[in-house]
Amino acid sequence: MEKYRLTAMAILIAMLAAFPFLEPQVYYLSFMFSVFMYVILASSWNFIGGYAGYLSFGHAAFFGIGAFATAKIAAVFDLSPVLTILATIPAGAIAALVALIIGYPCLKIRGPYFAVVTLCFAFVVDLAVKNIEFLGGAEGIWMKIMDVPEKLSRSIMYEVMLLLMVVTLGVAWWLGRSRLGAGLRAIRSDEEVAETMGIPTAKIKIQAFILSAFFPGIAGGLFAYYLTYIHADVVFNISISILIVLMAMFGGGGTWLGPIIGAVILTVVNEGLSTFAQAEIARIIYGALFIVVTIFMPNGIIDFFRKKGGG
Amino acid sequence: MDAVLLTQSLISGIMMGMVYALLSVGFSLTWGVMHVIHISHAAFGLLGAYVAYSLLEYFGVDPIVSAAVSVPLLFLLACGVYQLLIKPITKAKEVIVASMILTFGLAIILENVMVLIWKADPRIMTPTYSSGALIVGPLYFQYPHLVGFGLSIVGITAIYLFLQKTYTGMAVRAAWQQPEAAQLYGVNLYRISMITFALAVSTAGAGGISLALLNSFEPHSHNLWLIYLFLVVIVGGVGNVVGTALAGLIIGVITGLSMALLPFQWVNLVTFGLLMVFLIFRPHGLFKQGV
Repeated sequence: MEKYRLTAMAILIAMLAAFPFLEPQVYYLSFMFSVFMYVILASSWNFIGGYAGYLSFGHAAFFGIGAFATAKIAAVFDLSPVLTILATIPAGAIAALVALIIGYPCLKIRGPYFAVVTLCFAFVVDLAVKNIEFLGGAEGIWMKIMDVPEKLSRSIMYEVMLLLMVVTLGVAWWLGRSRLGAGLRAIRSDEEVAETMGIPTAKIKIQAFILSAFFPGIAGGLFAYYLTYIHADVVFNISISILIVLMAMFGGGGTWLGPIIGAVILTVVNEGLSTFAQAEIARIIYGALFIVVTIFMPNGIIDFFRKKGGG
Repeated sequence: MDAVLLTQSLISGIMMGMVYALLSVGFSLTWGVMHVIHISHAAFGLLGAYVAYSLLEYFGVDPIVSAAVSVPLLFLLACGVYQLLIKPITKAKEVIVASMILTFGLAIILENVMVLIWKADPRIMTPTYSSGALIVGPLYFQYPHLVGFGLSIVGITAIYLFLQKTYTGMAVRAAWQQPEAAQLYGVNLYRISMITFALAVSTAGAGGISLALLNSFEPHSHNLWLIYLFLVVIVGGVGNVVGTALAGLIIGVITGLSMALLPFQWVNLVTFGLLMVFLIFRPHGLFKQGV
């Protein structure tokens, strides 16, 4: 069983990697790029939000920190395209470092209060970046454009984002079966009991939080380089934070597949609606979707189908 | 720093704070009593503001008068929303999460319905007395601000008296403190939840009208209002009416003073920074007592 799954996944990844060679329109490359990006964001959010049940409503902050860090590193060292792409890794590390600093006090707070403190954190980072001249302030930062035809540069970014997605999902797969994952699940069901059983709750919460900030940081850097222009309003947008949570919970938090399904469905629906319907009507249908899914599948899509299948 | 300017901004901060408090009190109740985080709360408030705006523009009905009609209407609408949408999710594994996702969808719907009906342009409520002002020595109070302030005080007092003095209000408090015990004493939790929810939404409507008398508004405004809801409710303590009122005042004064003392772009930074620090040290609010 395990072997077939791995083979199926390898084939799927190979097909996705081969896609740009079919010379598709740039639109489809961009679309897949954002699907990959949201899968990364939702899956890494799941480390802390899904497994441990600590709903972070400020994950756009890590995405944005990665974006600004990449843009700044590239500008200061005047990096070539390849090095700029590599610079997203230290940018992700910066996001992870911020997660360490902020997570230490914040992860002591539980329930909805944690949600609100992370929401505030995202606002504070957003406003701080806007007010700091060094980071482009209210004007934002322009990055150097890759010196190749548009289709090639889009294809390169597509492949890099795909690679990051595969790595993130690999880590998510490992986490689901590791001691760390088991500890996080214990925290979710009852933190006091977990502590009594000798699980170092404070330590593993921080570890999960750092991991869940690292990948969005890298994704933010890639996104910045993809747009070649970043502004605090774009990357620190509160609706990105909320969307990440919704995607993961929509599919089913605390599972490997849930955030993937949630991210793919919501990105496709969002894109489809905004292409075929008037903007407001599209948003109304989008909102109704959340309501319908919550009423009929209050514990996420995955949970719904598991129950159906398992009887 | 000019003493007059300081007093002026202190007083407008207090007014603003009272309005925040009215807008937040229902949010605090639904959260405390029902464990429902009602993301579309502020959107319902905005809906109240828009209804009042239209009645004023097209029929010349004063917002205070029309509130007597639109607030009960919102109550009925909210009863329907509860039966149709909120009640089915109360059995979810995690009600708080499910309610946040569902009401987030509801907020998107309301926002875009408002864009379709009233367009995305900012609106200002202009009742007949809008240009008038009460002048006390060097201080200056616009009448709409005073009316909005008055409406909030009335609203908060009404909900406080309802919870303390009426039988239904006591049942709401009982349901909050000990749901099982309350049920044993014959309290119908679903009925109580419906009343709490509907009451909360109608206070949001009244709060929206008050806020519209103080500030301009547009269909997206509810997002910022929502942040203030969280701010006030967390500082005041979830489910605590008096705490919410006090927290509204504190936050109003802080924003009022920081607007006078700091460059505009730093105001929100200070507010959210304070809330963060606050949450880390006092996550359960300033005041311990519940409902």
